[in-house]
Amino acid sequence: MPLPGRHVPGAGPGDGLGGFPSGGFAPAGPGPGIPARPTVPPIVPAAPPWQRLTVGEPGPEFEARPPVGPFAYDCPDTECDGWSTPQLTVRFASVRGAKHRYYRQPRQDAARAAVHEPTGSTVFAVADGVSSASHAELGAAEACRAAVRRMLSLLSRQPGPLDLREVAQHAAARLCELARRDTGGREPGPGEVADRYATTLVFGVAYPDSTGCAVDIGRIGDSGAWLLDLAGGTYRALFETKTGSDSTVVSNEVHPLPEVPDPLPYAGVRPVPGQAVLIGTDGFGDPLGDGDGPVGALFARNLGAAEPPSPPWLAHLLDFSKETFDDDRTLLALWPRSGAAAP
Amino acid sequence: MAEPRGVLLPAYVLADESGSMAPYQEDLSGGLVSLCEGLRAEPMVSAKLRLTVLGFSDDVRVRMEMADMRSATRLPEVGIRGLTDYRAVFDDLLQRIPHDVRRLRAEGYKVHRPVVFFLSDGQPTDGGAWRRPHGTLTDKAQTPTAPNIVACGIGDADASTMVEVATRKEFAFVAKSGTDIGQAVAEFFHALTASLVASGRSLNAGDPQLVVNRPDQFTMAIDEVG
Repeated sequence: MPLPGRHVPGAGPGDGLGGFPSGGFAPAGPGPGIPARPTVPPIVPAAPPWQRLTVGEPGPEFEARPPVGPFAYDCPDTECDGWSTPQLTVRFASVRGAKHRYYRQPRQDAARAAVHEPTGSTVFAVADGVSSASHAELGAAEACRAAVRRMLSLLSRQPGPLDLREVAQHAAARLCELARRDTGGREPGPGEVADRYATTLVFGVAYPDSTGCAVDIGRIGDSGAWLLDLAGGTYRALFETKTGSDSTVVSNEVHPLPEVPDPLPYAGVRPVPGQAVLIGTDGFGDPLGDGDGPVGALFARNLGAAEPPSPPWLAHLLDFSKETFDDDRTLLALWPRSGAAAP
Repeated sequence: MAEPRGVLLPAYVLADESGSMAPYQEDLSGGLVSLCEGLRAEPMVSAKLRLTVLGFSDDVRVRMEMADMRSATRLPEVGIRGLTDYRAVFDDLLQRIPHDVRRLRAEGYKVHRPVVFFLSDGQPTDGGAWRRPHGTLTDKAQTPTAPNIVACGIGDADASTMVEVATRKEFAFVAKSGTDIGQAVAEFFHALTASLVASGRSLNAGDPQLVVNRPDQFTMAIDEVG
C-alpha cells in the first residue's frame, strides 16, 4: 500500500487512496444481500512525509543497514510508547544512532515504563548498554525489565518510598544471572558480567499524592535526568553531566551496572504543571549540553506544546541529525497533569 | 557549557624525518597517503577527528594541521633532514596541544583527551633532555590536556625508550628484529589508521575508548625490555 503523501502513479486529480483513475470504470455494486459499503471520502495525502530534522551541521544521510548478531532481530531500530494516568502523561522513545545504523550494530539503548495499578504510581527505567560489552543491547533491555519488575513488586508490598539501591542491586543480579547462563552455571566474576552486559541505568518512581506527584530517581553510569521548565525552555540537570561541566577534556569514566555505587546517586523532584521530568541517555544529553542551544530549543518547543507529542513524533524528534552526534538516543518524559491529584 | 557543536578527538602523528630515514622516505610518504585515504573513506569517523601531522628531527615542522579529513585537499609531505631530537618534539607538543584544545573549545567543541602516535627509527640525540618536557606534557596535574602517547620504534629505536615515551606500557611497540623498515613503516600507518577508525567509532558512546592496534611485525616493547 502506498504511504500517504507519496505520489501514486495513475491516480486521478484529487484522488487519494481509494480513488479511481480518471476515465476508469467504477466497480460493480455488491451482490444481492450484501450491504453496500458506506461511501468513504477519499483520503487526501495532505500531510507531507516527515523529513528528518537537522540541527546545525547534519551528519551523513544513508539507508540504515541491518544489525548483525544473534539477538539483533529483537532490537528494532526505533521503539516508542506513551499513555496517561490521572496524574501523569508518559512518553518515551528510543532510536538507533547513525553509527550503529552504519556499522550494522543493534540499538543498545532501552526504556520501559509501567503503572502500578493499586497505587497509581508510575515506574520507569532507561538504560544505555556500554558499547564495549559483547551483549550491550541485552544488558540494557534486561536492566530496564528487571528494574521495572522489581519496582512493581516492591510497590505491591509497600506503597511507600522504595529503596532504589535495592532495585539497582536486583538489576545487577539479573545481569549476573544472564552471565551465569552464558558460562554454563559457573559463577562469573564482576569483570565477566561487565564484559558481556555492562549498562547504565536511570530509573525511578512517580508517586501520586494529594498535591500532585513526587518523583524519585536513581542513577548508575552517565545517563541523565533533567527538569524542563516548559514556558521558559530551561533545563535543570538533576545529575552531574559530562558535557555540561567545564572540564578541559571530556571524561570517559563510566561506572555502569553490574557495579552499584554506595550511596546510589539519587534525585528527588516534585514537578508541577508547566514542568516535565526528562530521563535520557547520553545520546540525548551530549548534544543537549546545558539546553541553551538549538537542540534544547527544539525539545522545549515540542515538549512544551499544548499537548504532549505523540510517541511516534517524539521518536521522530529524537532522530534529529547533527554532525558528530551519532549515538543511540533515548528520552522518557513525564508531565504532571493539571488539577490532577490522588484522592 | 553551552550546547556543544560536537565532540572531537585531536590526533597527532609524529613522524621521524631524521637523516637515517632517508632510504624510507617513500614508505613514509606512502604511509601518510594511506592514512589520509583510510580516514577519508570513513566520513563518520573523520567528522570526529582533527588530524595533525608533524615531522621531527632537529626541530618540528607542521605537515598538516588540525585537518578535517573529509575536506582536506592537500596530502602531507615529509622532508628528511638532521638528527633525532626528542626534546624538540615534546617542547612543541607542550605548547601545541593546549593551544589546539583551547581553539576547538572556543569554536564550541568539546574535546576528548588528545592522542599522539609517535614513530621513530633511532635513539634520541639530545641525551635525556627530552624527559623534562615529556614529564610535564604527560602529567595531567600540570597539563590538563595531557595526551595519550602511543610510541612505535623501528630500526635503532630502543624498546626501553619507547616504553618511556608511551603513556602506558601497552602503548609501546617495537618492530621485530630483522623486519624490513619500509614494511614496518607501512604497518605502523596501517595500524594507526585502524586505531583511529576504531577509536572514532567508540567516541560519543557511553564509554569512549582509545583503541590501539599493534602493528603487524611489531611486538609490545615491554616484552622486549622484560
